[in-house]
Amino acid sequence: MAFLGATLNTVGLVFLTHAVYSTHEHTATSPSAPLPLDIVIELLASILVLSAGIVLSSPALKPIQWAQWSGKISREGRHGEGKWTREGEEILSEGDPYSFLGLDGGIGGQGEGRRGFWDVRAKRKEYEAWAKTGGKS
Amino acid sequence: MNEERELAINPIVQTSVQHNSQVVSNIRNLTASLFGVAAGTLGLESYPGFIFYLVGTLIVSGLVFTFRADGKPSDYFHRPLGDLWGGDVFSGLSSFVLTWTLFFGLVRA
Repeated sequence: MAFLGATLNTVGLVFLTHAVYSTHEHTATSPSAPLPLDIVIELLASILVLSAGIVLSSPALKPIQWAQWSGKISREGRHGEGKWTREGEEILSEGDPYSFLGLDGGIGGQGEGRRGFWDVRAKRKEYEAWAKTGGKS
Repeated sequence: MNEERELAINPIVQTSVQHNSQVVSNIRNLTASLFGVAAGTLGLESYPGFIFYLVGTLIVSGLVFTFRADGKPSDYFHRPLGDLWGGDVFSGLSSFVLTWTLFFGLVRA
């Protein structure tokens, strides 16, 4: 999409420059005659192409509903957006603001999850099984 | 009260709202000066120039609606009518007039 936008911008700029220059030439040589139709069409077409290019090369909008926004984040995760800082670090997209709570690990999950919601019995059972095998992981 | 309850049930992400309105205002500013170039080169004067600007912003809003908002503006704007179709129309007017008069003077006068 960014490549298409850049192409449209370049094409539009070339045609716009040409149209404006043609108008300048036309008014310099025959000031009283009305502008020829082909210049008008070229100008309007270049404006249309340029504005389409500007819209297409602009960054994507973000959903404002919290449910859709967080759903998008959890589906896509944090990923680079093609921008780097001057030090060479990649700028990532915004992540889950509540990830520090560690809820993703959860009770059924593999990780520890939030400490207050530890499944102590399951952990104890896990430890007993580990102890029975002789303490080898 | 009703809207408050609606916002409590379906909360809105403030950073996304800011990002979207910034994107729209960027597009508006760039295209407004572009329409000024066209209006000045076409030699429009008085009301036709302003009508040209309004038609142009309407087309740009349509482009944003189709390509950026995927035809569902209520997903990306809290008030689609005010934020997408009418957003920043009059803040772009000054840059429109600036390039309009500049190119009218350069090309026509």
